[in-house]
Amino acid sequence: MSYSSLPEDVLEHVFSFVQSDKDRNVISLVCKSWYEIERWCRRRIFVGNCYAVSPRMAIRRFPEVRSVELKGKPHFADFNLVPEGWGGYVYPWIRAMAGGYPWLEELKLKRMVVTDESLELIAKSLKNFKVLVLSSCEGFSTHGLAAIAADCKNLKELDLWESDVEDPSGNWLSKFPDTCTSLVSLNIACLGSEVSFSALERLVVRCPNLRTLRLNRAVPLEKLAHLLRQAPQLVELGTGTYSADLRPDIFSNLAGAFSGCKELKSLSGFWDVVPAYLPAVYSVCSGLTTLNLSYATIQSPDLIKLVSQCPKLQCLWVLDYIEDSGLEALAATCKDLRELRVFPSEPFGDEPNVSLTEQGLVLVSEGCPKLESVLYFCRRMSNDALVTIAKNRPSMIRFRLCIIDPQTPDYLTLEPLDVGFGAIVQHCKDLRRLSLSGLLTDRVFEYIGTYAKKLEMLSVAFAGESDLGLHHVLSGCDSLRKLEIMDCPFGDKALLANAAKLETMRSLWMSSCSVSFEACKLLGQKMPRLNVEVIDESGPPDSRPELPVKKLYIYRTVTGRRIDMPGFVWNVGEDSALRLS
Amino acid sequence: MIHMMMELQLGLALPSIATTHHVRGFEFDLNNSYVYEPKDSDPSSWNINSYFGSSASVPGKCSTTNSSNGNKKRSCDDAFDYEQVRAVPPRTLPLFNWNSRYPDDEDDPRDLDNNSSFGSNKTVDDEDGVHVVGWPPIKNWRKKLCHQQHHIPGGRVKNNQAVVANNGSACGGRQSNSMYVKVKMEGVAIARKIDLTLYDSFETLTNTLIGMFGLWLEDSYDYQLTYQDREGDWLIAKDVPWSFEQEYSWTLVMLALQNFHSNSATPQFVQERRLIH
Repeated sequence: MSYSSLPEDVLEHVFSFVQSDKDRNVISLVCKSWYEIERWCRRRIFVGNCYAVSPRMAIRRFPEVRSVELKGKPHFADFNLVPEGWGGYVYPWIRAMAGGYPWLEELKLKRMVVTDESLELIAKSLKNFKVLVLSSCEGFSTHGLAAIAADCKNLKELDLWESDVEDPSGNWLSKFPDTCTSLVSLNIACLGSEVSFSALERLVVRCPNLRTLRLNRAVPLEKLAHLLRQAPQLVELGTGTYSADLRPDIFSNLAGAFSGCKELKSLSGFWDVVPAYLPAVYSVCSGLTTLNLSYATIQSPDLIKLVSQCPKLQCLWVLDYIEDSGLEALAATCKDLRELRVFPSEPFGDEPNVSLTEQGLVLVSEGCPKLESVLYFCRRMSNDALVTIAKNRPSMIRFRLCIIDPQTPDYLTLEPLDVGFGAIVQHCKDLRRLSLSGLLTDRVFEYIGTYAKKLEMLSVAFAGESDLGLHHVLSGCDSLRKLEIMDCPFGDKALLANAAKLETMRSLWMSSCSVSFEACKLLGQKMPRLNVEVIDESGPPDSRPELPVKKLYIYRTVTGRRIDMPGFVWNVGEDSALRLS
Repeated sequence: MIHMMMELQLGLALPSIATTHHVRGFEFDLNNSYVYEPKDSDPSSWNINSYFGSSASVPGKCSTTNSSNGNKKRSCDDAFDYEQVRAVPPRTLPLFNWNSRYPDDEDDPRDLDNNSSFGSNKTVDDEDGVHVVGWPPIKNWRKKLCHQQHHIPGGRVKNNQAVVANNGSACGGRQSNSMYVKVKMEGVAIARKIDLTLYDSFETLTNTLIGMFGLWLEDSYDYQLTYQDREGDWLIAKDVPWSFEQEYSWTLVMLALQNFHSNSATPQFVQERRLIH
C-alpha cells in the first residue's frame, strides 16, 4: 500500500502533527492531493508582509484557518523612518475575515494601523474570538477596546504590546461583562491614562485562569499588593509605577503579597522605581526566568542586588545603568541566561553617562554558556572584544550591536570593526539576525556574504564603501529574508545585478543610499513580482531623476501594486501582467 | 548610455522549479533571461507558499552553486571593474561626501532646500537634540519614557555614586520638578536656597539673588555668578546657555556671587553637598 492511497482523514491526522509553516509548505508541494488535504486542515497562517498577498487569496487557499498573524510596516518604522500614513491597514483583512473566517480565534498584528472600526467589526462578526495581540500598532482608541471587551464572550488574551492607543475618557475595562471569566492574559502596559481600578480588580477576581497581567504606569504601587493577593496564581506580572511614600506598612504589605505568588516567573514594569521598594520582590527572585527592567532608572548596586538573587534568569532586559560591574555579577550568577538586552539611558548625549563598555558584554559571553540573543547599546567596541565574544559563544543566534556614535572605529586600534564582525559570522554558524554598527568597510560584507549562510535578517547603517558591499550580501547570504539599510553608499549596480535575489526575500529597505530613480524604475519594470516603492515626501521622484531616491522599499508580492498608497509613495513599475485575484 | 549598461547587468533569472538555476554575479545579461511559467494550473500555488510561513522555502532557491569564493570574486571583479569603483573615504557623518557620485550635478540652485543633501538622512532638532532621523535605533515608546524619566530629578545617574534622588525624588509618587540649590555669597556667612526652575534667564536669577542678599542693583555689576560642576570645577554661569543650565542644573553645587575685585581665584567658602528637594 503506497502512502498516496492512504485515506484522506488519516493523512489529515498525520498532518495535524506538523505545526511549522515551513514543513506545511513542503507537504503541500508533494502532490495535488496532499496539497488539497493540507490546505483544508491548515489552522494557522503567518503573513510576514500584509501586502505580499491579498486577504481574499489567503482565505481562498486556506478556508479553515483559526489563527492569523500579520505584519505591516517595515521594521525601520519603529525608528521614525516611515512617514505617517504609509499604510499597513488591517481593515481590509478584517473585513475579508469577518466573512471568510467566521470561526477565527486568534489575530496577532504587528506594526499595523488598526482602527476602532476594525475592532468593532471583530467584536461583532467573530463569535469565537479568543486572542488579540496588537504589537506596536496604532490608530485605535479605548472605544475599540470597549467593543472587544463587551462582545468577545470567550476572550482569553488581550495584549497591547507597545501600541499607541488613543484614550478618550471612558471606562472600557468595565465593559467586560460579569460573565467574562475566561481571561488568561491581559497586557495594558502601554495605556497612558488610568483605568478604573475597581473594574480591574473585579476582572482579576473573576478570572481564575489569569496567568499574565501587565499593568500600566497609572496603577499605583499601594494597590499592587491588593491585586496580587487576588491573583496569586500569576505567572507573569508587569507592575505599574513602582514608587510610593516610604512607609513600612506599604512595604510589608507588598512583600507579603509577592511572597504569596509562588508561580511568578516573569516581572516587568518598574516605572519610576524607588530602590527602597525593590526588596519586596526578593521572595520571587529564585524562580524568575524573565526580568524586564528596561524602564527602571536604578543603578548598578541595586541592580546587582536584584540580579544576584535570580539564578534561573533566562532573559534580562535592562538599562545601561547596570554597567560593566553589574554585567559581571550577571555573568557570575545567571548561568541559564539566553537573552540579554541593554538599552541606553541617554542615547542622545554626547558623552557616556555610565560605565558600560564592551567589557560587560565580553564578561557575559564568557560566563553564560547558553547566551544566544543579544541587543547591546554601547559607546565603544574593539575587534578583540568581538572576536572573543564570537569564540566564546558560537551558538549565538541573534546579535545586534549598536555603537551609539555612527562609524565609531575600534577604540584601541582605530581600525574598522570588519574583523570583529567577521569573527561573529564565522564562528556563529547558526546566526539568524545581525545588526551592525561602528566603522565598517566593504570587507565586513565580504565576510558576511561568505560565512553568514543562515542569516535571515541584516540591519546596516553608516557602513560600507561601495556597491561591492551590497553585492556581497545579496549574492552570498543564502537565507536572507529581510535586509534594511540606512545611510550607506550602495547604489544601482549591486541592486540590479542581484534583482532575482529580491524575489527570494521578504523585503529590502534602503534609505539615504545612492540608488537612482532610473534603477528603481528598471527594477520595477523587469520584476513584476516585486513592488518597488519609492517614498518621497517632497514630490514625485521622477521630477528630479538626477538625485538618489530617499527611501526605497522593495518587497515581493503576488498581488501587484497596492491600492492604498498615500501621495508620497510611488510604485515605480509598470502594472504587472501577472496580477492575480 | 547608462541605461544600456544597467540593462546588460541586470540579473534577471527568476526562481524556477523546473530548471536548476544559478544566480550569477554581474556577468548575467538580459539575453539569457526568461519569464517563469509555472506548470501548475494554479499559477500562484507554490509562490504563495513563500508568503505563508516564517521562513518560506522557495523551491529551486536562488543560491550560487559556485562553491568556491574565488569564482564569485573573479566574476565580480571582471564585470564590476573593481578598480574603477571609487572607495569613499571614511567619514564622520554621511552628509558631505556623496556628491562625488554625481559629478555633473554641482551647485544646482535647486539643491538649496532639504531635498538636496545626497543620500543624507534628515537631521532633526527636537527634544532629543540634533540627531539623524532613525538613529540611534530606539523605539518611540522608549524614547518617550527616556524623556519622562529625565524630568524627575535623579533620573540622571552618576557612576556608582549614591544619588540623593534615590530616596528623595520619587517620594510620594509625584514628580518633583523643583531644583533647589544652595547659594552663597562671598563675604556673607549665611547661605540661601533657591528653586532654579523658577527662573528663565541669568538676568532674572542674578537680579533675584542680588535682592536676596540685600545689595543695591548698581553694585550688581561687580558681582558674577559662578557655579561648581560635578567635577568640582568652578565655572562662570554666563558661559553656558540657560537651557543647558536647566537640563544639567543638578550639577550645580553652589551659586556664588563673586566680587570681581576680589583677588581670590575661587570663592572661599566651604563646599556643600547639593540640595535637591
